Amino acid sequence: MKYVKQGMKNIKGFTLMGKTGMAVVCVVLFLGIFSDRLSVHPYNLPSGSAFEAPGPVHWLGTDDLGIDLWAQICFGARVSMIIGFGTALLAGIGGSLIGICSGYFGGLIDKIVMRVTDIIIVLPDLPTMIVLGAFFGPGIRNIIIVLALFSWTVPARIVRSKILSVKEEKYVVAAKNYGAKFWHLTIRHFLPNILPVVMVSVIRLFSKAIVAEAGLAFLGLGDPTSKSWGLILNHAVNFRGIYFTDYWKWWIVGPSAAIMLLVTAIAFICRDVEKIVNSKI
Amino acid sequence: MVKRIAKRTVAILLSAIILAGSTGCGHSTLSENKNGNQDRPVVVNLEGGDWGYPTPFSHYARGPGLYKMTLIFDSLLERGEEGYIPWLAEDWDISEDGLTYTFTLRENVKWQDGQPMTAEDVKFSFEYFAEYPPVFSDLTVDGKHFIQSVETVDEKTVKLKVEKPLAILLGKIGSTRIIPKHIWEKVEDPQKFNTPEAVIGTGPYVLKDYIKEQGAYQFEAFKDFWGPKQRVEILQFVPVSDSILAFDNGEIDLTRITTDILSKYQSNEEYKVLRNPAFWGYRLLFNMERRTEFKDKKIRQAFAHAIDKDELVEKIAREAAIPANAGYLPVGHIWHNAHAKNYGFDIERAKQLLDGEEFSFKLLTGNSNNEVRIAELLKISLAKAGITLSITSTDFKTRDAAVKRGDYEIVLNGHGGWGRDADILRTMYLTEKTSNRSPAVGGIPGYDNDRINVLCRQQLFEIDAAKRKEIIFELQELIAEEIPQIPLYNTTGYIVFRPAAFDGWKYMFDHHGVTHNKLSYLDVRQ
Amino acid sequence: MRKRMLAKISEYLMTLLVIITLNFFIPRLMPGDPFTFLSSDEGQVTVTYSEEQIAKYKAYYGLDKPILVQYTSYISNLLRGNIGYSIYYNDHVSTIIGKRIRWTISIVIAAIVISSLTGIVLGSLSAWNRNGVLDKGLYTLMMTLSEIPAFLIGIGFLFILAAKLGWFPLAGGMKSFANYSSFADRIMDILHHAFLPVLTLSVVRLGEFYLLARNSMISVLTKDYMRTARAKGLGKMRIIFRHGLKNAMLPIVTRVFLSLGALFGGAILVENVFHYPGVGRLMREAVMVRDYVLVQGIFLLVAITVLTMNLIADIIYRRLDPRVS
Repeated sequence: MKYVKQGMKNIKGFTLMGKTGMAVVCVVLFLGIFSDRLSVHPYNLPSGSAFEAPGPVHWLGTDDLGIDLWAQICFGARVSMIIGFGTALLAGIGGSLIGICSGYFGGLIDKIVMRVTDIIIVLPDLPTMIVLGAFFGPGIRNIIIVLALFSWTVPARIVRSKILSVKEEKYVVAAKNYGAKFWHLTIRHFLPNILPVVMVSVIRLFSKAIVAEAGLAFLGLGDPTSKSWGLILNHAVNFRGIYFTDYWKWWIVGPSAAIMLLVTAIAFICRDVEKIVNSKI
Repeated sequence: MVKRIAKRTVAILLSAIILAGSTGCGHSTLSENKNGNQDRPVVVNLEGGDWGYPTPFSHYARGPGLYKMTLIFDSLLERGEEGYIPWLAEDWDISEDGLTYTFTLRENVKWQDGQPMTAEDVKFSFEYFAEYPPVFSDLTVDGKHFIQSVETVDEKTVKLKVEKPLAILLGKIGSTRIIPKHIWEKVEDPQKFNTPEAVIGTGPYVLKDYIKEQGAYQFEAFKDFWGPKQRVEILQFVPVSDSILAFDNGEIDLTRITTDILSKYQSNEEYKVLRNPAFWGYRLLFNMERRTEFKDKKIRQAFAHAIDKDELVEKIAREAAIPANAGYLPVGHIWHNAHAKNYGFDIERAKQLLDGEEFSFKLLTGNSNNEVRIAELLKISLAKAGITLSITSTDFKTRDAAVKRGDYEIVLNGHGGWGRDADILRTMYLTEKTSNRSPAVGGIPGYDNDRINVLCRQQLFEIDAAKRKEIIFELQELIAEEIPQIPLYNTTGYIVFRPAAFDGWKYMFDHHGVTHNKLSYLDVRQ
Repeated sequence: MRKRMLAKISEYLMTLLVIITLNFFIPRLMPGDPFTFLSSDEGQVTVTYSEEQIAKYKAYYGLDKPILVQYTSYISNLLRGNIGYSIYYNDHVSTIIGKRIRWTISIVIAAIVISSLTGIVLGSLSAWNRNGVLDKGLYTLMMTLSEIPAFLIGIGFLFILAAKLGWFPLAGGMKSFANYSSFADRIMDILHHAFLPVLTLSVVRLGEFYLLARNSMISVLTKDYMRTARAKGLGKMRIIFRHGLKNAMLPIVTRVFLSLGALFGGAILVENVFHYPGVGRLMREAVMVRDYVLVQGIFLLVAITVLTMNLIADIIYRRLDPRVS
């Protein structure tokens, strides 16, 4: 609760850009949650003829099957949000925990963790994605797992270096001397210290995950049934001769604008959060 | 009897097709005039891509690789617009018992390095391919090599003995590439043989340049080619990112286009549009071992009635396709039976057949756009009949592996070759308990119909073409009624080119790509 | 010092071994094999091998042996410098990669040079005019640019600059079969083709270098010696580029090396958009056709490059920064 209150106070400290970003993210979140109620048309069934231009019935037009694009973008917002949140939380929490352990215990654990992060950085994600997809069956969940697998190293490294410095602080050393256990130290002393930096990297991961999913979908490696923004784009860009018709004006521009708007909004929030975090340190 | 038919076919084909240039040169001026400019050689540019070094052993296992190789290497027969035509063999003869094939070779055929081609080269080629199968190996039936022996009778006559008298062998023997003995006899690892010597054939084109990483090829007309004059002097395959953009910019001379932009080219005199024959298609396969419900014909028929093929053609193929036939062979196939049953879109009928029962199945698809889109539409329309589909989509290789293992309930699969010899029906529908299934088509797991099995085997041994055609017609009717798998649609696709630049494009009787046809580039008139 | 260096290098070697092992097993865990083609892209025909042919090919490439035997022979071949023969592409992996890698390396290096230099200049300008209009404008622009996915930028450039305006070629690394009149012509043609891929990669990376340069410049500019320099009345440019940059360089140089790995990833997407004949496109194709040997070769190359760059970054950091001992 304390953190929430503090967070609210921080939002007030945002710049205009940051506030706009916050508003955009809220709108997208709203779209995602109420996607089925916000659009008159279903997102998965044809509701008009193919390639209707934007108009009063279909606000953003229809795609090749005659499915309403506004409905798809609303639903895609949900998918993108789930992937973004899922990956960021999984990688953020997992990465932080690993970072704390690695920084606190040091020695062999630290060595192993550092080597593993090195390996992950050079491990190609493309085929790993296919392998994991085949193991778990394709789906949003697996995309989240794979993206998290490739992004936990960032928070882990940041947290580790932070812990290394906090560990030496006098009050932590004192607490340790009084027999404080690892978990006690983590919750009482480490978490408040690392939370701000973790926040920043989680927000970063959030937009990275959305972009990564779109990129994978663009290469034809995403989950083709997930209906994310990247997938709409993939369908559109791979439609032969798309640039010679007028369809691209709504079929490509719509989802591209949605992706760009969301990631830029998150970038602005991220900048403001970073500023606040830095000013406190 | 057989001999006479064979002879007659040759005579008809020979009279139908005049191989200009093989006798004289009078036609060269004619072809140049047609192309407008007399002094500049005709250069044709086509969409490139790396398809491997064009030898019979090292091109990639896809159409564009194969057909680039065939520009350099000739075969005994060639595929014309109506059927096989004489090529390196002027004439051929099949013995009464169907076990001996005798080919008479054309004279004065030269390899591209100047050596003469002889019967020895032909004998060598068949023997070499038996030991080292090339990428596209056609010398097997059900995985077994069918040639017993090859003999040279004299300089220009070759005699082949085969294991069994089968109806489909002439095409297989006739389309086998002939390679020069004096080059290949020393080669023990043909896959790694990629020196300039490896691309010496008797064909109309010489490989001038190949840039693997760019996906670029340059072919030049072979001056001493035995056959019809080449209308295209230089043939180039160049890298493009979007072929339609490249066509508009004049970088390439022919491209596939979609129906949405058809009007732009159709209304313009500068362009000519052709519609391809429908020899590529999607089909839906049932695994009756996994889900025994499919053994019930009524359920399969209900599926057929609940699928709106016209909608698929309209929305997914954008009208550049035709609904496929329940009897499998597509409309353009030379032996297509137009009287075989077809299933109209009729949800009520489907519900009747299902008897009010509801089912749910898993559908496996690849991850190409169209497959995912087809799956979506199938899901929507089958749901109306009370069949719930849950879609799993994986990449091609994963899907193919699942099909091979039989690890699916229903699978959507797209492939070419629908125009090939009607023997494809046998490889697809025959349940042979002893021999291993051809992995190409995978058979239909759990399906076994005695009559279909009998007919499939019968047609294979029927050497009389007319009788064989009757069997194939009956087979199609039976298959359409039984519907053990559901062909969805056959793509036609449109191509556009500038006739002013080059207008020789022709189709082969069983294939849908004009650029793949060697005869497109030659002065062959019908 | 030397001892620590050795320990560091042996750590890197350990990492390399783990990566090689993963590279060997991961492609082989993928479902499907290189010889089964049951389906094809629309309008495309493929060969279908019989079981006998598949068995023959498997034996030819040694894929019929137990996986551990394959692994040991892979390692021993690797030690002898033989990285194998590609299954699908029918050529030595080293030849295939060798022909492709120069294209990738050139666009990656060009992109890194352009984006870091532009980033430094713009970042310094921003830092100097901190909180001014120029700074705010640049900052917002860079923030936005650095977030847009590479493939969207690429498609945008391809569509507008190449297709609509026709300023640049649509695909490839150079004109096919052109007769260049001189060496300069050839270079010009290659540059012309490389322009859009390099531009895309640079734009994608620009934001990162800009932010880094801006931040480190700001922290340098507030240092005492800079105040002194300003008090001495030295010129603006001179202060920024002679004094400021010298001190702000360290994080930028390290980042240049560290971001090479990420750039390779970006190159995959960009090469696919522009049909550029580099390794990125090859890698995607190799995975698609399950060409284990080639996939291994490419991963190995990427791994070694990235590890080496990390090592170099490490060393430079130690050399340049006296605080790290």
